[in-house]
Amino acid sequence: MFEMIGSILKNLSSKPATRKYPFEKRPAFKNARGQISGIDIDQCIFCGICQRKCPADAIKVTKAEKSWEIDQFRCVICGACVEVCPKKCIKMDDEYKTSAYTKETYKAVQKTATEPQAAKEA
Amino acid sequence: MIENAFDISKELLHIEVEDSKINGYRFVTATCVDLGDGTLDVIYHFDKDLELKNLRVNIKKEDELPSISNIYFSAILVENEMKELFGLKIKNIAIDYGGHMLLSDEELDSPMAKQQIVIEQRKGDK
Amino acid sequence: MGKSGKQNKSAKTVIPFGPQHPVLPEPLHLKLVMEDEIIVEAIPAIGYVHRGLEKLTEIKEFTQNVFIVERICGICSVMHAQAYCQGIETLMNIQVPDRAKYLRVIWAELHRIHSHLLWLGLLADAFGFESLFMQVWRNREKVMDIMEETAGGRVIISVNTIGGTRRDMSPEALRKVAVIADEIKEDMKELEKVFMADYTVKHRLVGVGVLEPDLAYEFGAVGPMARASGIKQDLRTTGYAAYGELDFEPVVETGCDSYARTMVRLREVYQSVDLIKQAIGKIPDGEINVPVKGMPKGEVISRVEQPRGEVLYYLKANGTKNLERLRIRTPTFANIPTLLKMLPGSELADVPVLILTIDPCISCTER
Repeated sequence: MFEMIGSILKNLSSKPATRKYPFEKRPAFKNARGQISGIDIDQCIFCGICQRKCPADAIKVTKAEKSWEIDQFRCVICGACVEVCPKKCIKMDDEYKTSAYTKETYKAVQKTATEPQAAKEA
Repeated sequence: MIENAFDISKELLHIEVEDSKINGYRFVTATCVDLGDGTLDVIYHFDKDLELKNLRVNIKKEDELPSISNIYFSAILVENEMKELFGLKIKNIAIDYGGHMLLSDEELDSPMAKQQIVIEQRKGDK
Repeated sequence: MGKSGKQNKSAKTVIPFGPQHPVLPEPLHLKLVMEDEIIVEAIPAIGYVHRGLEKLTEIKEFTQNVFIVERICGICSVMHAQAYCQGIETLMNIQVPDRAKYLRVIWAELHRIHSHLLWLGLLADAFGFESLFMQVWRNREKVMDIMEETAGGRVIISVNTIGGTRRDMSPEALRKVAVIADEIKEDMKELEKVFMADYTVKHRLVGVGVLEPDLAYEFGAVGPMARASGIKQDLRTTGYAAYGELDFEPVVETGCDSYARTMVRLREVYQSVDLIKQAIGKIPDGEINVPVKGMPKGEVISRVEQPRGEVLYYLKANGTKNLERLRIRTPTFANIPTLLKMLPGSELADVPVLILTIDPCISCTER
């Protein structure tokens, strides 16, 4: 009947097992899959392989206007797009995505080569 | 092809299932496949000592199958599911939910069967 | 809430034990027909979380189906992906490298530990022992952290793919897994005394929900339900993945009641720790996946031992990139008729404990 007494006394005298979030945050693990944070748009060749491999249909690639768009709230963070990209330009971050007030998509457009200064800051 | 599969007709189904029960087989599950040409393939899987035996019955969509829940009681859930999702007609299930186990009233009938769906677009609707 | 009929001797009431209940963790509905606190009959109703995933797998390509299949259930997710990948690999005659087979075993056994620890905590919560619930779940956090560190996610780890695994484990990671496995074994040794010998725990579990061995076999019980009634049935002895080279015996008890089922799951935690250490000792070097070319064609059945029992996958492919039919039979689907057999004759206060001993996972049952 009293088998738990030893364990209870040990718990009362040691520090708590939970941490005081949001004052104390745990550093994220290195290879964790957090969110798709963006794309290096200058390297992208708009082949569309990431759009075909995505299981949640979250990526939209338009070759005509050179844009790459991802709906962050549809993404299931599987990492398939990161693996199949031939130029390896999609980046995965290791912090989870925080909640937001509106559903916005992340869109990146590649500027054309006639404006070299604008292309550098794109 | 799957191993140990026998094709039998609808009339012999009851006799074969009783035979399996006497020989000590355990009923695992049943699978329904819509072949696309108006027939359905129903496969019953049995197991003894971790080896499978499969019985395949090929029937048309309008035919009726007798239920095996008087031999194996654990078949009630899977037969109700096949009846609802594929429109397969099975009679005399021990506990019959009447088509409302998984689907609700306002949904499409037999959603997993290969059927043609006509969507009407009225003017002014999207 | 109840309907009582005017009979001669005793009145029967029908109590709905609903999908929302403070103690029930799963959305299962039971209609209990009762006479004065003893249950006479029970009728189940499922269908609250039907998502139609079998139809969705006919629309997506066969490589994208891995991500859909592992989201059927959160607790047994890596084994769903393993069963699917093993089925497709048999159809396309792909030989998985040996290192990938051992890595699959390590992640699968970690998943089995976390599922059994979750169940032990929920059982302690069902009979009111909250401090034991919290301590078991505190031990479970170590497993979740090591899964995030090695595979990238806490619950859905997305590590299986057709032809092998997506990630590799470095030697330091393997050493860390071995250290954590030892820590879990020591932590559970302290709490084992409470589960096995505490007077209040035994009073709620011994003699409750008895299922004799021949009834268990006839109703098709799988997993720890069957092994607690004396039936020696464990699919890992057929030797898929790397289990053929590891040394273990299925855990069997002969008590046939809820106490025996608790003991089976507790001893399986120790067996999993032992299997992980054996696999880490024997893992060979090599590559982790092979490239996939071509399309699958034919039909195949693949079976895997999940924490709750045996899962069966039937795949039919016709040479295009979409599958023609994918049928999944999960272990809770086979254990629900045994619940209908155990409930008559027991009291109303034992119903939550009985439903929990079959380890229900309703989101697997009605994918």
